[in-house]
Amino acid sequence: MAWRGRFPGFDTTAQWRHWDPATAGSVLARLGPPQPIRFFTPEEHATADALCTRLLALEPDPKVPVVAMIDARLAEQETDGWRHEDMPEDGEAWRRSLAGLKADAVDRFRLPFALLTADRCDVLIGRVRELGTQPWHGLPAGHVWSLWTRYACTAFYGHPHAWNEIGFPGPAYPRGYKNIGTDSREPFEVEDEGE
Amino acid sequence: MNPVRARNASAWLLPNDGTRTNHRLRRDMRRFDDADEVDAVVVGCGAGGGVVLQRLARAGWRVVGFDAGPFWDPDTDWVSDEAGSHHLYWTDPRVISGADPVPLGSNNSGRGVGGSMVHFAGYVPRLHPSDFRTLSRDGVGADWPIGYGQLKPYYEAIEQELPVAGEYWPWGEPHGYPHRPHPVGGNGEIFLRGAEKLGITAKVGPVAIPNGRFGNRPHCVYRGFCLQGCKVNAKASPLITHIPDALAHGAEIRADSMVARIDVDEHSGLTTGVHYIRDGCQRFQRSRVVIVAGYSIETPRLLLNSASRRFPDGLCNDFDQVGRYVMVQGAPQTAGRFDAEIRMYKAPPPEVTSEEFYETDPEKPYRRGFSLQNVSPMPITWAEHVAAQGHWGEDLRRMMSDYVHWACFGALCEFLPLPENRITLADEVDRHGLPVADLSYSQCDNDRELMNAAREAMEDLLHAAGADDVMTIGRYAHLVGGARMAADEHLGVVDADCRSFAVPNLYIVDGSVLPTQGAANPALTIMAIAARAASRMNRR
Repeated sequence: MAWRGRFPGFDTTAQWRHWDPATAGSVLARLGPPQPIRFFTPEEHATADALCTRLLALEPDPKVPVVAMIDARLAEQETDGWRHEDMPEDGEAWRRSLAGLKADAVDRFRLPFALLTADRCDVLIGRVRELGTQPWHGLPAGHVWSLWTRYACTAFYGHPHAWNEIGFPGPAYPRGYKNIGTDSREPFEVEDEGE
Repeated sequence: MNPVRARNASAWLLPNDGTRTNHRLRRDMRRFDDADEVDAVVVGCGAGGGVVLQRLARAGWRVVGFDAGPFWDPDTDWVSDEAGSHHLYWTDPRVISGADPVPLGSNNSGRGVGGSMVHFAGYVPRLHPSDFRTLSRDGVGADWPIGYGQLKPYYEAIEQELPVAGEYWPWGEPHGYPHRPHPVGGNGEIFLRGAEKLGITAKVGPVAIPNGRFGNRPHCVYRGFCLQGCKVNAKASPLITHIPDALAHGAEIRADSMVARIDVDEHSGLTTGVHYIRDGCQRFQRSRVVIVAGYSIETPRLLLNSASRRFPDGLCNDFDQVGRYVMVQGAPQTAGRFDAEIRMYKAPPPEVTSEEFYETDPEKPYRRGFSLQNVSPMPITWAEHVAAQGHWGEDLRRMMSDYVHWACFGALCEFLPLPENRITLADEVDRHGLPVADLSYSQCDNDRELMNAAREAMEDLLHAAGADDVMTIGRYAHLVGGARMAADEHLGVVDADCRSFAVPNLYIVDGSVLPTQGAANPALTIMAIAARAASRMNRR
């Protein structure tokens, strides 16, 4: 678990006074309460929450509201601008893949996915990844995997809490950077202490 | 006075008070009525459309530029943040298919005034002379109806207008750049170090970012967010390099207006204008000339959606050429891990290039080649790179915590133009009820061999620079083709002057006219072709 403290004391948002107003508004809003769930049904919400918790090893606190961020995108149809020919549009693909996870959980463990232990969740999630180009509940498993990881990673690594643990200082306008070579840091960047 | 200012004053028409948009110029913009017959409508205000608008407005044409997206204000509309920049991309529905489907959106498709150049990486190399005759030289691809020499003066003109910073360029036809190269960040340093160890020539540039002030455009602050829209007004896009001058010469920009169909008069065989949708209303703008500049997906889609009794299979599609020969570049991305902190998010994402592998090498089993550049993924894009290796959960988080130690290179492999790599209309419609585009893509053996060779070259570079671990993902970059220029109507959609073979007052002036793509980022070539086409239109 040592990697979690590689950049001791580093807090991206401590620099917010140096950001332009448009950026500060957009980024700091992610720290406030997330939008209410509008797209997922309560059952889908529960499954998505369990899925994303395992996909990203999410901590309970501070909690990055990954599912709420995904839900907001789906509610607003903020897609990546394409879908595979053999996949439905993203919202429907999420619904069908969450139903698939739930069905797998009931078949194998006689419990809804959201109530499984972490190990059992991982077994079912890992199976989708390993199927690759093979079908899974009528969808190409690899395309489902790509859908899940794209949405989950976009939500999580767009959040300041995630930047803190990877040493990325986030917004850089209007200040920019003065020290741009290898092994050079700005005064507000923190050296990696390693694992 | 800077000699560029006399022919394109865009950089001097921007404010110099720390804000980025000349609101008075936009407020006072000339506004035509739908019933006015203007001299030309330009569909799409990106690399091609932006340049054509500026050139024609300067020549006294009454022109209207349509764009489906907004007329951006960098101060209020753009953020210095990855997740908050989603609206820069074309995210209306599209379908991708084929054996090697190509993701769109953030990867290659813009919307709004400035087009994809708003979020392009800023790289503007020229094509090589060989790119214009790959069929006769190498037996692959296609020959263009024009040669390098005919484009060269326009390359030079656009390089001055952007303007471009870089070292003297020893590849293709050797040439210099108007501005000195920028300092390189950690990622570029690694590239230069690896290249030196292996004896491979590498150069800094060419980026469309002035080194120093240019007009009222300030110096780059090296914040690295080139792909999120340049809030500084340092990185070039037509929004700041050509549109301001077009406005000052009486052009209208009609943003948030989606052109749905091009009208052709059955008796004269000429286009009379465009049907468009604005604020939910269907409207029609009359025009003497129609210039399509919607890029490789929306241009063919618009032509196919403009079918009529005269053109039952789509406008200009008598010979089944519309939508064909779409190309992307194979863009494998190889990262290397270093003990040093690279912090690749600083400085413009591509800074250093080698074109040593660009030309056909008779020793190799494949034809044509690739170029190598450094690329610098931000955290979300980097997470995709790491997740694509199969990492997830705790393992993914741990790998990601190592972000500051990775350097990353990207290749641009010259994929060949193939007739079956094409745009067709899908069954699905968008919110206006217009059929959406389906892009089908499949690689040929030559494409795959290039991807493998490029990957090996990047791994060698990273190892030579001292990387202890490397990882590669397959990617694609850029889009060209889909309505190519050719010697005659059986081989393409437009002639050497970008005029369609089928409709004498219809032009296509964007990346879709490229018959081949080389291993160069396409923006500069698209702008140069547009500048040339505009000059030919003027002479008619």
